[in-house]
Amino acid sequence: MEVGLSFPFLAAPPPAVLRGGAFLEEALRGAAAGDAHAALAEAILRYFPEAAPSRVYVGNETCERLLPTPREIGSWVASAREGRLAVSLVLPPLSRDGLAKAEEAVRALEGVEEAEVVANDWGTVHRLRSRHPGLTIVLGRLTHKMLRDPRLAEYFDSPQAPMAARAALCRSGELAPGFRALMERYGIGRREVDPFLQPVEADEWENRSEKVSVHFPYLFVTMGRACLLGSMHGDPAVNFAPGAPCRSECRKYAVEFQLPVPGGNGKVKYLLSRGNAYYHTAPPSVTGRILGRLSSSRQVDRIVVTVPADGHGWGK
Amino acid sequence: MKLTVPVSSPEEVEMLAGNGAGEFFCGYVPPEWLERYGGAFWLNRRGPVVGNLVQQDDVSLLTERSHAFGIPVHVTFNAPYYTPEQQEFLLPVIDRLARESGVDGVVVSDVGFLVALRCAFPGLSVHASSVMAALNPGMIDFLDELGARRVIFPRSLDLGDIASLCAAAVGRLETEAFVLNEGCVFEEGYCMTTHRSVGALCVQLPGVPHRVLPLGGEHAESLSGEEGERARELMGAFKDWVWFQNGCGNSMNSSGIPNGPCGLCAIFDLARAGVTSLKISGRGVSSYRKFVGLQMVRAVLDLVERGASREEAAREAVALRNTPKFCEARYMCYYREGAS
Repeated sequence: MEVGLSFPFLAAPPPAVLRGGAFLEEALRGAAAGDAHAALAEAILRYFPEAAPSRVYVGNETCERLLPTPREIGSWVASAREGRLAVSLVLPPLSRDGLAKAEEAVRALEGVEEAEVVANDWGTVHRLRSRHPGLTIVLGRLTHKMLRDPRLAEYFDSPQAPMAARAALCRSGELAPGFRALMERYGIGRREVDPFLQPVEADEWENRSEKVSVHFPYLFVTMGRACLLGSMHGDPAVNFAPGAPCRSECRKYAVEFQLPVPGGNGKVKYLLSRGNAYYHTAPPSVTGRILGRLSSSRQVDRIVVTVPADGHGWGK
Repeated sequence: MKLTVPVSSPEEVEMLAGNGAGEFFCGYVPPEWLERYGGAFWLNRRGPVVGNLVQQDDVSLLTERSHAFGIPVHVTFNAPYYTPEQQEFLLPVIDRLARESGVDGVVVSDVGFLVALRCAFPGLSVHASSVMAALNPGMIDFLDELGARRVIFPRSLDLGDIASLCAAAVGRLETEAFVLNEGCVFEEGYCMTTHRSVGALCVQLPGVPHRVLPLGGEHAESLSGEEGERARELMGAFKDWVWFQNGCGNSMNSSGIPNGPCGLCAIFDLARAGVTSLKISGRGVSSYRKFVGLQMVRAVLDLVERGASREEAAREAVALRNTPKFCEARYMCYYREGAS
């Protein structure tokens, strides 16, 4: 099992990347006690005792303001090379200006062995494939259309739900002929998926021609092009407007929401806002269920772990 | 520019046509879909029943009446995705709507389903829904190659983005931009939540317990001092913004004018950008609200088409709304830079 480490809010590689080796354990076991990452490290190493990072992910999947410059990418590439790690450049859904900047970033990866680009919108896929025919393009998890609402997870398995509805909520449309044709047309050999709370059907992962990467521990829930935290120090006239100026507040703060569980007698689920995106941490039961399945999977051959900037978690 | 207007009953056709509608879109949910999925999986973005037609005969009648006014009808099949089984179910449904009911085309969100439709029915008009999130010129090229006829822009695009994408689409794709009625706090094409059963997450968020946390400490603590005050102000502003985006607490103001997201004062800029259709959303709203909304948009568009300046058109838009404080707050705007 390949392991990638993702640093969505860092402009420069952390020193530990330079060292390579047992960084997974170091990075994840260094998390605060009770943090999701401590439990995650233990679970990954239990199922895959030899797991060691072989790839770093640079860039943010939801905000193009965090797109690394070619110079920053050069720094990541150099550090990764010293640590004998490959590099994946993560691109968010891009605006017209963002797409132009992304192309500069992609050019900075030219000639870098085993480099790949994770694209999170089809316009970016089309542009990159048209202009960079040899580029390895991975389809990012934001393009994987399936329900991820943590408020409803308990109902996915409900026997009261119509059987057809339960099945539909546990798979996407990606095995249909139209989507298959797109994957072939654009030469996409890898698809990223989330740690779904609902028990996703085996076909969804195994009956694909492309390889699959699974993210941990954060389930992507939603995003806006308007940024909650980016409005913290802004002019009220432009607060919550897409593209409004910000002070990169996402690198300093998070907002944690407590969502009441319907019919849960006061139980809550946590939703974490990081910049313009919202995540839910997959609970250990879900992580364990997915990791257990991966050990026998033919198609899933990579885990992507999002690492907090300083070794500490993002919240609950 | 045409006005693209929601319609949810054959009885609304004459009223909307008489007030300047140029195109219609409607929803259709066959009873077999409801039997299979109940309310758990919506066939389109309204559902399972409200705002939709549930009998094919009604679709036929609606289309016949619309065509009598020269107005085309597109039907929404714009759920974010359909499973392979659902696509197999829907393709014959769409075939019947086109052949027997005479609909002119469909609106879709699932890129794979778009490919399947173009393959099965090459002559059918397919519009790419705002849920497809066409944010950049690469998406215009993508949709053109796949054979879409129109791109419907997501609400989050500003006027500069729209002008740029219209320039990229000219001669290849028709373009449609939101002008009235419904907002979305998140980017619709990347929102993996649901409104069913538990309501909209965005509406819920400002009212649930929350903490703004500094990152990097051993223990996550709420902010205090000056930053704590800023955080409280931020969350208060967030609550206001969500309130405006969701219709200001009431779908109508005291004058009977629809509340909620609006781009009336940007119509001049949208016309100049080359947008080919203006979208009034809200299949599920009352006939009265559809009527008033259409009249407002028609009035400003007529002014622009008669040669009014940007400022004149914006002034008229604000006057028509008759809620200047809401306009000044700007949280209700689709296009804030167009606000007068």
